[in-house]
Amino acid sequence: MDEKESRLVELVLGGQTEAFEPLVTPYRKLLLTLAYRLSRNIEEAKEISQETLLRAFRYLGSFDRRRSFKNWLLQIEMNVWRSLGERAADEGTLRELAAWNTHEDPEERLAGKEAREKLLTCLDGLSPREREVFLLRDIEGRSVKETAEVLRTSPISVRVHLSRARVKIRRLVKDRFPGLMEAQR
Amino acid sequence: MSCSRIRKWIPLYAGADLPARKARRLEMHLERCADCRTEVEEIKTALDGIRAFANGEVIDWPVAEWNGLMARVKSERPEHHQVSRLGAIPRKAWAYGFAIVLVLGVAALILRSILSPPASPLLSEIISHTPAQPSRSLTIDEAASVSYPQDIPFRVPREQGELDRAVLAAGPAPEKTTQDLMSMTLVSQETGLKVHWTLNKNFEWEEKK
Repeated sequence: MDEKESRLVELVLGGQTEAFEPLVTPYRKLLLTLAYRLSRNIEEAKEISQETLLRAFRYLGSFDRRRSFKNWLLQIEMNVWRSLGERAADEGTLRELAAWNTHEDPEERLAGKEAREKLLTCLDGLSPREREVFLLRDIEGRSVKETAEVLRTSPISVRVHLSRARVKIRRLVKDRFPGLMEAQR
Repeated sequence: MSCSRIRKWIPLYAGADLPARKARRLEMHLERCADCRTEVEEIKTALDGIRAFANGEVIDWPVAEWNGLMARVKSERPEHHQVSRLGAIPRKAWAYGFAIVLVLGVAALILRSILSPPASPLLSEIISHTPAQPSRSLTIDEAASVSYPQDIPFRVPREQGELDRAVLAAGPAPEKTTQDLMSMTLVSQETGLKVHWTLNKNFEWEEKK
């Protein structure tokens, strides 16, 4: 945890609750995006992110400052996601997703929507645990050790699920997006 | 190395998560196996493609919703349960601490056994090193005049056929000797006090010093 974050945590615990917003703002996109990739439902993603931030505020006193604040937030989010359980993707909400970022121009919005749908199609083929591991390691770029820490499991378990997830992703991309494989060659 | 064994390493290798030693072995295999090379390339390509999709998919909170959420969060109160000092100690530190205590305990036991005075010799050892008193035989008269002390805590009962003064007196006296004496020395390991017991051959009390 860096000095700035440590100081902000100190302020929040000292009663200056307004310091919480600058503390979590750098992670607000990350938390919402990850929640969306896990749940495949924007309303559920908002619910997960909101609960994550509320829990983070509530239990900030128990945060061990030698750890990474980002990893701690991700760990809370994974716990919230698991406690809510996996629900079926809401296709209707998915279609509305492009309207989210109102600052994007229509072309960017369309491209964004297309990318999201492609990604979600691939993630659909993974089991919940494989999706968690794959998103944290391959999309968010956490190390195997950090991923294990966030998911409260062993690095061996992470490697096993990661291996299975990558094999499935390769097959899904090859079947559904053959052009991508061709373009890379 | 066979393809079937190597293939399970390929997904981890493609994402740079395979330990270096295994990665080197896999690379040696890849040099001569086109199928495995293709599989590695396909996984890498799929991962790159998914990452490219992901980069185009960053979702942000609408400003009004974010402000509403922050207002809600600030209305709550953080719980002030600090991490306990013991709980903050990582598991590895506990393991190392336990190992150190164990090693120190074993070392203390070894030192104690080295530095403590040698153990007192066993009673049997003392007796075996004590020169035996020369045995002698009592005459009939001496045997008859033996008086039994009254403070003996126990007494072995006489059995049939044992020495009896009346029988000895009636019968012929063979060479004027009738019985042997046995001497037993008990030594206290703590105080060094020695007690000599003398018993006749019927294990009857004769003398105490």
